[in-house]
Formats: sequence, structure tokens, C-alpha cells
Amino acid sequence: MTLIAIAAALAIGLSTIGPGIGQGIASAKALEGMSRQPEMASELRTSMILALAFMEAMTIYGLLISILLLGKM
Amino acid sequence: MMDALYELGITNQMMTSTGITLIISAIVIVAGRHMQMIPSGLQNIMEIVVEKLQNFYISVMGEYAGRKYFPIVASLFIYILICNYSGLLPFSGHLPGLAAPTSSINFPLGMALIVFVFTIVVGLVENRGPRYFKSFFRPVAFLFPIMLLEQLVHPVSLTLRLYGNIFGEEAVIAEFFNLIPLGVPIIMQALSVLMGLIQALVFSLLAGIYISEAAHPVDGNLHHQETCEIPVQQII
Repeated sequence: MTLIAIAAALAIGLSTIGPGIGQGIASAKALEGMSRQPEMASELRTSMILALAFMEAMTIYGLLISILLLGKM
Repeated sequence: MMDALYELGITNQMMTSTGITLIISAIVIVAGRHMQMIPSGLQNIMEIVVEKLQNFYISVMGEYAGRKYFPIVASLFIYILICNYSGLLPFSGHLPGLAAPTSSINFPLGMALIVFVFTIVVGLVENRGPRYFKSFFRPVAFLFPIMLLEQLVHPVSLTLRLYGNIFGEEAVIAEFFNLIPLGVPIIMQALSVLMGLIQALVFSLLAGIYISEAAHPVDGNLHHQETCEIPVQQII
């Protein structure tokens, strides 16, 4: 019972680490590119949002697993 | 009356999404009733919205696919955007018949299945028949299982991304309301305005990219490439 609760917390907690770091790096680089070449800003923004969405999917899978685990309690 | 609907298996989310459909349809019908060459009022606003969206999708999907399949991706965007924002209405989720449709897994799943089936239909139509399935064997033939898996994962990831984000937000806002009912939830709600827009954008953008990939001819020398070359010949 408590083990499942800990597992659910770990599932969402650990799965936020990787995407968090990745999104930070990606948006930092995109901002750098935008400030260097402001005329490319709109294209870069679209690609950045798309890349962030792909990274975010990992966290969402973690959230799904933790919801499934909570359902087992 | 509500109990009778609940017994039929109609949930709050279904009622809200139907209501949103009716509202959007009503606004669009009113805006397009007396169309004029020089637009004014509501028609003008709608034309600005559609034109901005069309420029955006053409820049992502390319000139041909962006123009031809613009209606479905733009409809997805507008519909999902308003469905996301319906979760920010006062008492949303507590009044009978009012809850954000995207916070239930069935709504995103339906949208993602529409995109999945539409992608295959576009591939079959653009390649004039089952030649489309050659694209699964395209780089190398032994990659076929991976390409097939990739196609099948698209609707799953579309569903989970939209559902997870909106459900997570709604859960966090509800939890904040339980802790401190005044002031603090506004921060999360302001963030949720931005997130609702980004999630609607991402969903329609990915749908557009899948569709434009399917619309790309497998073997080349297809009809729309020929039509693209006609103006060049006329110039010569």
C-alpha cells in the first residue's frame, strides 16, 4: 500500500527530471538563436514549441503510470 | 432532466463539447450570412483569424498541403482551444453540464482517432490508391515494423499529451483551491491560459505535420507536382 504510493510519487517525480533539463537546454538555445537572428524568430518559435511538446510527452507518460498505480491502491 | 441524461451515459464533458460546437457554429453562421466583398464587423474579424491561421499552417505544412488541408487542422485548433478554455469558466467542473471536455480521456482520444483515420485517407487519396503503403517500406524494407509502430503510436501520444496536460492543470488548480481558496489559484489559472493555447497549437500542428507527410507523394511525378509546374511552362 505505502509502497505503491511511493512508487507513484517516484514515477512522476523522476520522469520530470529529464524533460525539465531538456526543455531548459532547448529553450535556452532557441532564445539564443532568436536574439542573434530576430528575423528567424517566428520559425524558431514554432520549432521550439514542437520540440518542447515531444519532450513533455515523457513526463505525461510518467503521469499516466502514476495515475494507473494510484488506481491499484 | 440531468439525471435522465446521466442515465443514458451522457457526461458533463459531452454536454459542454456539444454546447461549444453549437456556439461556434452559430457565430460562424451569423458571420457568414451576408458575405460582402469588402468585409465589415464580424465577417472582418473572422477573415483576419482565418487568414492568420492559414499563413501559419502554410509555413509549417508547405504550400500545397497547407492550403488543401487547412480546414481540418484549423477546425481542430479552434475547437480544442475553446474546449481547453472552457475549463477556466467559473464553477467549471462543479456545475452540472459544465466541465472542460479535454480533461476527460475520451475527447482527446476521439480527436486523435479522427486525425489517424484522416491521415491514412489522405495518403490513399494523394497517392491514388494503395501505393501509399509503400512509404512504410521506404528507407529500407526491414524497418517496416518500426514504421508501422510509429504510425500506431501517433494517436496514442496525441491523446495522452492533450489529456495529461489539461487534466494535470485542472487537478493542480483544484488542489490549490482546497489548500488556499483565495488569490493563489489565480497564478495557476493565468499559466493555464497559456498552456491551453500551446496544447491546442501543438495538437493541430502535429496533426498538420502527419497529414502533410501523408500527402507527400511516395514515388514523385504525381498530379499536384504536375499542376505546380504548369505556371513555369506558361512563363516559358
